[in-house]
Amino acid sequence: MNTQLSVAADPQADTAGAVSAVIASLPVSFGPAAEAPDVVAVSGHAGWTTRAVDAILNGAKGVVVSSPLAEDAAGLSAAAGAAEAVVVLDRRWAGNVALDSANDKVHGVIGAALGDAVLLDSVAIAAPGTDPLHLLADQFAVLVQCEIEVRNVRMVQCNGNGYTVAGVIAGGVPVALQAILTSALPATASLTILTSAGRADVVLPDPAAAWPAEVHAVTTEGATMLPTLYESSHRTTWSRAHAHIAARTAADDLARFTTVLSLLSQLNR
Amino acid sequence: MSSQADGSPALVGVGILGAGPVTQAIHLPSLARLGHLLEVRHIMDVDPLVAEAVASRVGANFSTSMEELLADPAVDVVAICSPHQFHAAQVIASCRAGKKAVLCEKPFAMSGEEAAGISAVSAETGVPIIVGAMHTFDPGWLGAEEAWGDLPGQVHTVRSSIVLPPNPRFEDFATEIVGRVPMQARDITDPEVMKAMMTGGVMGLAIHDLPLVRRFTPDFAAVEVLHAEIVAPFGYVISLRAGNVAIELRAAMNGTWEPSWEFEAIGDDAALKIDFTPSYVHAGSATARIRTAGKTTVLGPFGHNGYEGEWRKLAELASGRGTPPSAETLLHDLEFALAIAQAAAGRIEKGSIETGRNDSGPVNEEQEISA
Repeated sequence: MNTQLSVAADPQADTAGAVSAVIASLPVSFGPAAEAPDVVAVSGHAGWTTRAVDAILNGAKGVVVSSPLAEDAAGLSAAAGAAEAVVVLDRRWAGNVALDSANDKVHGVIGAALGDAVLLDSVAIAAPGTDPLHLLADQFAVLVQCEIEVRNVRMVQCNGNGYTVAGVIAGGVPVALQAILTSALPATASLTILTSAGRADVVLPDPAAAWPAEVHAVTTEGATMLPTLYESSHRTTWSRAHAHIAARTAADDLARFTTVLSLLSQLNR
Repeated sequence: MSSQADGSPALVGVGILGAGPVTQAIHLPSLARLGHLLEVRHIMDVDPLVAEAVASRVGANFSTSMEELLADPAVDVVAICSPHQFHAAQVIASCRAGKKAVLCEKPFAMSGEEAAGISAVSAETGVPIIVGAMHTFDPGWLGAEEAWGDLPGQVHTVRSSIVLPPNPRFEDFATEIVGRVPMQARDITDPEVMKAMMTGGVMGLAIHDLPLVRRFTPDFAAVEVLHAEIVAPFGYVISLRAGNVAIELRAAMNGTWEPSWEFEAIGDDAALKIDFTPSYVHAGSATARIRTAGKTTVLGPFGHNGYEGEWRKLAELASGRGTPPSAETLLHDLEFALAIAQAAAGRIEKGSIETGRNDSGPVNEEQEISA
């Protein structure tokens, strides 16, 4: 039988991660906490690592962080390890169920394309006013979730309308990351890997609703559209948090977050 | 089939300089769809066998010199489909020969000086000139242009993304080519080859969309290339800025069977996306989508593509109707393309790019050009 975990979220965390609505969609797994919550929702604005550590020190079995800003998470990682607490990051695109580590088909398509890549092109769309570095962290998180090792990243241009970042993957294959700020288009992140004879495309939706991701592959054999699910990144994240807590296994979110931070740090060199 | 002798006076007579794959696979099939307006009457090519073979397909005269074609009174409109370096001189000669209109394949000149010379002759002779930037004649683009309202004033980001197979594949879908020149293998790790590829990429491939890009970049003269890389086996990644507009150009000519040709112009509150059909084959027009929050307007697809649109426009101009593109527009389009090509190649000269894959094989010369 599924163990119900109690949840507490302050108003900022609730807004950042649509926590109330998500928890309501997982009524067997989660319920509201009267006191001493099992899981604490933390908003990812500045100081989130401290708030997460506090929650763990206060006895939380798990912490779910919504849209975390770039912040050194070494202390949090240590605290979580010592308390055997689970820390899960709710990232708007990287958290999509299509990119779940267990989704072998999607990762297989991406891996096959990477092995024959001639260009990796990614575009992130977000609302005007979005912080570019926060957006770039979300875009990097998608690459990290896809096990794509990018190096030599550098900012080509950045202004109030978006940015362009260049880099390379194995074999010197060019990488182009772009962000575009507009209210005319849905907030999606796309990843296109062009190969010598085809392509792989992943389009990740805004987690505001349960739009499914789109995953297509084109090879000499034909075109394939992989099955994807109508589930938001938020809901996937909370399900994942429950699974880790119930199984007493650690999540690798903070390790992946550290990789994102190292990519961001390359921009400043 | 018809010939000069029995050509109907109601039809506009066409002469074509250069009978290579672009003429064979693009213009002749387009003209064959417009037999009620236009008639091919003279084909010139420096290779007499190619000239004769291609001319015989349409019952036209043939020759091996530009002078012969220009002297043919049955030719009302001249299409210049020769190698780039001959374009300017042939446009000028065609105008001076008193023809009714000239179509010049892009680019219509290879320097600002050549372009200025063409502009002066066009003004002097009054002969209208069209440059074969087919996307600007595509009904999908033209429909978007009528519908986009204040979009150009708010666009801050432009993207052109092109994924195509090598040209011969689509040429062979459009016609049966004669006289195809064998490909020359080369080492794309050689900086000089890379520089030539970048120039060829801009002037042979990106140039299709650069007039569209320029519609959204009022400060086009201030264009600055920020980043440029070669994509194997042929293609590019170029990042530019022109005033407040960020421009991203992507292209790859790989072995795909699924071509993709997208153009996007995005502002704060509205965005345009156009999906163009591949070159050569007659697969109808582009489809344009204009989006605002919660609303999408779809224009197209329409029944003909930009190549056919070019010829419809030429027939109109040769009949004394319609308005040609302004010489200033053509000049600025060319200056824009030349500035980008030179600066992008310069990024390679400076060694300031990340090179493409070092394990890439040789590339074919013809992969550079996609009409």
